[in-house]
Amino acid sequence: MFRPRIIGFVCNWALPKRIEIPSFPRMKIYPKMQVVQVMCVGRIDPVIVLDTFAKGADGVLLVGCPLPDCHFVKGNIQAENKTKILKKLLSLTGLEPERLQLEWAYATEIEPFSTIVDAFRNHIIKLGQSPLVGENSDEKILSNILAAKNAVADFSLRVLTGREEELTEAMNAYGKRIPQEEFDDLLDEIVNREFLRHKIHLLTSQKLLSVKEIATIVNHRPALILRQIADMTSKHMIALDHVEETTPLYKALEVK
Amino acid sequence: MCQIATFQGTSDGEHAARGCRQKMIKHDPNSMRKRKLPPCRAACPADVNVQAYIALIQQGKFNEAVEVIRRSMPFPAICGRVCFSPCQDACTRKEIDKPVGVRYLKRLAADIEREQRNKKPEPISVSHDKKVAIIGAGPAGLSAAYDLAKRGYPVVVFECMPEAGGMMRYGIPDYRLQKYVVAKEIMHIQDLGVEIKTNVEFGKDVNFETLRSEGYKAFFVAIGAQISRKLGVPGEELKGVFYAVEWLRDIALGKTVDLGEKVIVIGGGNSAIDAARISLKLGAKKVIVAYRRSRMEMPALPQEVEAAKKEGVKLNFLISPKRIIGEGGKVKAIEFLRMKLGKPDASGRRRPVPIQRSEHLYEANTVIPAIGQIVKTAGLPSLLLDKRGLAITANLSTLETRMPGVFSGGDSLTGPASVIEAVKAGKRAAESIDRYFSDRAIDRYIDDGDVSNGGKVEVEETTWVKHVDTIIKKPERYIGSHVDIGRWEASFEEADELLARNKETAISEARRCLECGPCTECLGNEKLCDADKAIINEKLCSGCNLCAVICPYAAVKKNDAEIAQVDEDLCKGCGICSASCPDRAITMKKLPDAQIVAEVETALRRAAI
Ligand SMILES: Cc1cc2nc3c(=O)[nH]c(=O)nc-3n(C[C@H](O)[C@H](O)[C@H](O)COP(=O)(O)OP(=O)(O)OC[C@H]3O[C@@H](n4cnc5c(N)ncnc54)[C@H](O)[C@@H]3O)c2cc1C
Ligand code: SF4
Ligand code: SF4
Repeated sequence: MFRPRIIGFVCNWALPKRIEIPSFPRMKIYPKMQVVQVMCVGRIDPVIVLDTFAKGADGVLLVGCPLPDCHFVKGNIQAENKTKILKKLLSLTGLEPERLQLEWAYATEIEPFSTIVDAFRNHIIKLGQSPLVGENSDEKILSNILAAKNAVADFSLRVLTGREEELTEAMNAYGKRIPQEEFDDLLDEIVNREFLRHKIHLLTSQKLLSVKEIATIVNHRPALILRQIADMTSKHMIALDHVEETTPLYKALEVK
Repeated sequence: MCQIATFQGTSDGEHAARGCRQKMIKHDPNSMRKRKLPPCRAACPADVNVQAYIALIQQGKFNEAVEVIRRSMPFPAICGRVCFSPCQDACTRKEIDKPVGVRYLKRLAADIEREQRNKKPEPISVSHDKKVAIIGAGPAGLSAAYDLAKRGYPVVVFECMPEAGGMMRYGIPDYRLQKYVVAKEIMHIQDLGVEIKTNVEFGKDVNFETLRSEGYKAFFVAIGAQISRKLGVPGEELKGVFYAVEWLRDIALGKTVDLGEKVIVIGGGNSAIDAARISLKLGAKKVIVAYRRSRMEMPALPQEVEAAKKEGVKLNFLISPKRIIGEGGKVKAIEFLRMKLGKPDASGRRRPVPIQRSEHLYEANTVIPAIGQIVKTAGLPSLLLDKRGLAITANLSTLETRMPGVFSGGDSLTGPASVIEAVKAGKRAAESIDRYFSDRAIDRYIDDGDVSNGGKVEVEETTWVKHVDTIIKKPERYIGSHVDIGRWEASFEEADELLARNKETAISEARRCLECGPCTECLGNEKLCDADKAIINEKLCSGCNLCAVICPYAAVKKNDAEIAQVDEDLCKGCGICSASCPDRAITMKKLPDAQIVAEVETALRRAAI
């Protein structure tokens, strides 16, 4: 039988394992989920989540405290925003976004917690093993995941997630509040753009490539790729290596 | 990691409390400063960390809760029974419904811990060579010994009675404070390495000269106030007049007394109520407590007064004895004068003034004066005493006497007070003696803040819960949310029955706590919880200010060079900034990303098996 490898990043304040109220049965979640305990779900860096998938997890469950009850006031909002971006990125990489889930639990109540774990586990069993595990693991998805990882490590996405609440709820620096829908559209655009750029970066760091070659691999119009390359050149992410016959070949630059 | 998952869920009330806390944080990030102590903790004379042990009880961690109490004082079970619990009186929750039943929680935790404890504590190794002698094994002397032993001093306690404990052993009656409880807690102190020599009377068997020649370098005189104050009215020499403290001591020593049918106790303190209740238990038919002020001014614990009334003790207020009338050398009646309340006196209570020609008689077979105690000064060097030789004099905050190296505190200095005040005196004495030996200025306590807090914490404002009434809009939700909270007024025996070792009730009661202080500082898991902290790698920081925006506690600020700086006092170690920093310039001290990744790898390996 398929036994999914599930990693749970569980907030210290939402993990019921220590509660020893006599009338509660002791919880047995460990065989079902490997728990990595953190101070707050908001402490989970998206890079770590993607890294966990790259290392072969079948599912990642983030568990924190329900919205008004975050021990650190708004760590769970941060986690929510990060999960949103991660799910978008996952769908671009080809890995099922449902393999990542953010759930709320109370440290004092064991049953809801085990219900969440059980439901998530059943869902993962239905999805089957992660395509990144085993003999014939999917190289393409893996490299996509690595590109996504670089994308979330980069400046724009981090600032955007970090400031989402500020921008949509309060005011931005120009005294303007961005409506949520507008923000989500912007976010979509930037997630797509960042993923593409880091994908190009990753590809060209392995091999010198032309615009056309990149376009076939990532399945986009060459014009779009060319525009990204122009932007990336100005950001010192990529450079023209040399021109072979009439085709320019590009090479990724080390990003600091 | 933190041991205290803040209580959430299961009832709407709790949500409200948590919500208001967050509001407070948003409005006043400084409210997260640790030095703002919750009112309960600030109120405790012995600086017991009330909020922390309540939080641990919420988790069912009774043993850890007791450990927290023991960090501050050695008598969790005793104080759980007889303490005046200023913590409970200060509890913020009283603004909503009733204060948290702090004393019962302490008692329950201590009882559970005592029963579960299966090994003795490790003796503390002696690290100083200067011996300390403590005179009197009451709460003051014992807690000084406890503190000094913890600081590594060799300590010997001299006690004139056959057993240690002072008024806890020979004063407070058994039905309120069982003797085995006292014995167990004293045993704990002895197990740590304190030696107690009983049946040694200071001033007779030993004195300062003999003790100095035996190598003792410092002394703490904590002999309590052992002699009952005389009434000062004619007829006191009659048979049938028993002085409360001496009489209770005789009963504790197992002597029998013949009371007769009618007993009149004079006084309004705990010893008066105790004497009255014991008289009933010993078979008296009619017991009256006569107090010269009104119910309001009575110093006895209110729940004790209630219990006494329930048992049938009569309370008569605003009367004072004029003379005791005898017949054949035995008490027959007392003549009382009626009183009225005048201007407040030095103690802040209104002074009773006699009403002329208001004499009236009460019949009595026994009279028990319980109007206060004085110190037995016979046998003490005159340098310790005041001009008239009636009381010990010492600096009230440093406890230094005029004799170098000799300190005094507790009832022997202040007159009859309470167990917890005596503990405070003991802690102060330990601090003073430590300073005396290490040549640190003793008299600078006041500048250093309160010594009972180690001289560090300055309580500026005691809580972040500033306007409970406005923050919590629906007080009715709290009432009876978990348990019948009316019972916090129960007397000592009732508490026994009501909690009945019921841990679940205790846990529910503990959950009523509003968590007035930000971090409880329970130090339940010192290695990890002792707060993770964000560390900023200044070379990587580009000054984008995102961390400052994100930090829930406003713990990050940019400096003049536009580089983020973490205020360690404010940082609670959530790590949210670290997870968001675009320059990846922030790591956590205890749980850096690298460690999380390592844990993930192990977890994946474990999952594969
Ligand atoms: C009846 C009664 C009920 C009380 N109820 C309460 C209550 O409910 N809650 C509360 O908080 N407080 C209560 N108190 C007060 C409390 O017990 C005292 O305030 C407290 O015990 C004082 O501690 P102490 O160490 O200063 O003195 P003590 O407890 O009096 O201890 C002094 C010790 O020194 C010993 N000693 C005296 N002279 C010598 C000598 N020459 N040589 C050697 N040893 C000597 C004594 O035998 C005694 O053991 C009560 C007191 C009484 C009398
Ligand atoms: S609510 Fe809790 S923290 Fe606040 S004073 Fe009462 S016991 Fe202390
Ligand atoms: S870890 Fe960072 S976000 Fe959390 S309290 Fe400390 S400085 Fe603020």
